[in-house]
Formats: sequence, C-alpha cells, structure tokens
Amino acid sequence: MLTDAKKQELEQTLKGLLEQADVIDAAVVVTVDGHLQAMAQKQDYPLERVAAMGSSFMSLGDTITAELKMGVCRNIISENESGIIVFMHINDSMILVSMTTDTSALGLLLSHSRIHAQKMQNML
Amino acid sequence: MNKIVFTGPMGAGKTTAIATVSDVPPIYTEVKATDAEVQQRKETTTVSMDYGYIVLEDNTRVHLYGTPGQERFSYMWPILTEGALGLVLLLDNANDDPIADLRFYLDAFSDFIEKTGVVIGITRCDISQKYSIADYQAVMMEHNLVFPLFEIDPREANDVKVLLHALLAILQY
Repeated sequence: MLTDAKKQELEQTLKGLLEQADVIDAAVVVTVDGHLQAMAQKQDYPLERVAAMGSSFMSLGDTITAELKMGVCRNIISENESGIIVFMHINDSMILVSMTTDTSALGLLLSHSRIHAQKMQNML
Repeated sequence: MNKIVFTGPMGAGKTTAIATVSDVPPIYTEVKATDAEVQQRKETTTVSMDYGYIVLEDNTRVHLYGTPGQERFSYMWPILTEGALGLVLLLDNANDDPIADLRFYLDAFSDFIEKTGVVIGITRCDISQKYSIADYQAVMMEHNLVFPLFEIDPREANDVKVLLHALLAILQY
C-alpha cells in the first residue's frame, strides 16, 4: 500500500492526464489486487467498483498473454458503444485504467495514458 | 457444458482444490496481495477466476471454475455461475468466524443454490476444531437446506473428488 503523500502525487498526475487530454473522462490507479489508490474524473463514475474490475480484467489479460506465450501484456482495450476503456500496467503492482466517452479517441487515450503511466512508474 | 463453480472465502482452498484434481495445468489469475491483512495469511489472491477440468470415469469432462474469495470481486460470482451445474462451497474452519462465512455465502448464492445444488467442504480442520460438522449442519437447517458437508483437505485429490461426486449425485435427483 502507498503512503498518503504518494497517493496525492498520483492523483495530481491523473488530474494532469485529464487536463492534457480533454477527451479523457476519468482515470484511476489501482493495485493489481483491486484496491483503489488514486482517481480523477469529470463525471460521476463508480470508480471503486471499476478499480476492482480493472484488476480482474488486467489479470485475465496477463493470463491469456502468458498462455499464448506473447510476452508481457501491454494494455487491454475495451471498445464499447458509448466509449473506450484502456487498462495498462504502471509497474508490477499498479494498474492505470482510463476512459473516454469519445469513441473516436482511442489513439489519444492510449498515447496520453501511456505517457502518464510512465511518469507514475518513475514516481513509484 | 458441465461446469462446477468453487467458491468460499479467501484462503479456504479453492485454487488448491482445482489444481489438485485438474487434468490440465490450471489457469490462475493470482496476483500478489498488497494489503497487510491478506498478506498475513497468504502472499497471493485470486482476482478474476481459476480454471481447470477433470475427466470423470465415464469420460464426462467437468469444467471447474473458482471464484475470487474477496467480496469486492463479487461481480465475478454471477458471471462464473452462469450456466453452471452446481456449487462447491469451501469454508476454512480456522477462519475467525466460519459460521458467519457459511451464512454469507448461502445468502450470496441463494438463487443459484435454489436452482441447482451445493456441497460444502470444511478445510483446515486439523488446524482448528472450533466448529464441528454438526455446527455447520445446524446453520444449513436454519436455511432449510439439506446438502452434503464434508471435512476435506483440498490438497488431497480423493477429498476433492468426493465433493464433486457428491454434487453430481445430488444434481441427478
């Protein structure tokens, strides 16, 4: 578990992500076992539940990738009728989940999320 | 598809039970536990599901799914029980309050149990004799449920197979 100071740093980075990429509506940092560590959002999402689901989803991605011997799972993309969700590892212990309601913004969502995941990896 | 779901609290032996009887290397979604309370008991925890299968004597393939034990992953429970034949509920007799665990899981899976069936395996009876099979049976009776209960060791294939055969037997009636 992270210290409160570290969680605040993560929260600032997530706010930066939402400011720099206007299409991103929410982002959370969650431990690999589903504990919410930091969040930022423009709408009211049930992010506690999303955090736990993010860890389930990421672990399934890791498991499938290992089963097929495809190296490391970089990210999982959920493209939906009304939005896109991206799940990616920050490091061995933390996952970034970011989402947009703009169905044409996959590239932007992926690239900004990757940059900020890297920032948070360096921070942790 | 013949599918059986293993559930129960964290550390009751669900992942171990599936691994013990699976005819293929089981699929785990275990990750390292990050909270101190869980770390005191085990290093890893299941966050999505476990999977394996067993081929019975009559060549029937039975698919075995394990749920995450922690309640914050409860959204996985209806996903995993969809289309399943029945439930194996494992309870850790050395847990703080395994009787409360029994009540919790009977309530959480009540709709599924009503439509299918459940067998209960009590684990770690060698570590704690806090409650007997009769204590668990009394709770089952409170819920008007008459289903088999066994003391088991999830590391012993025969013990786990007893649960599976018992479940399949009650499902036939």
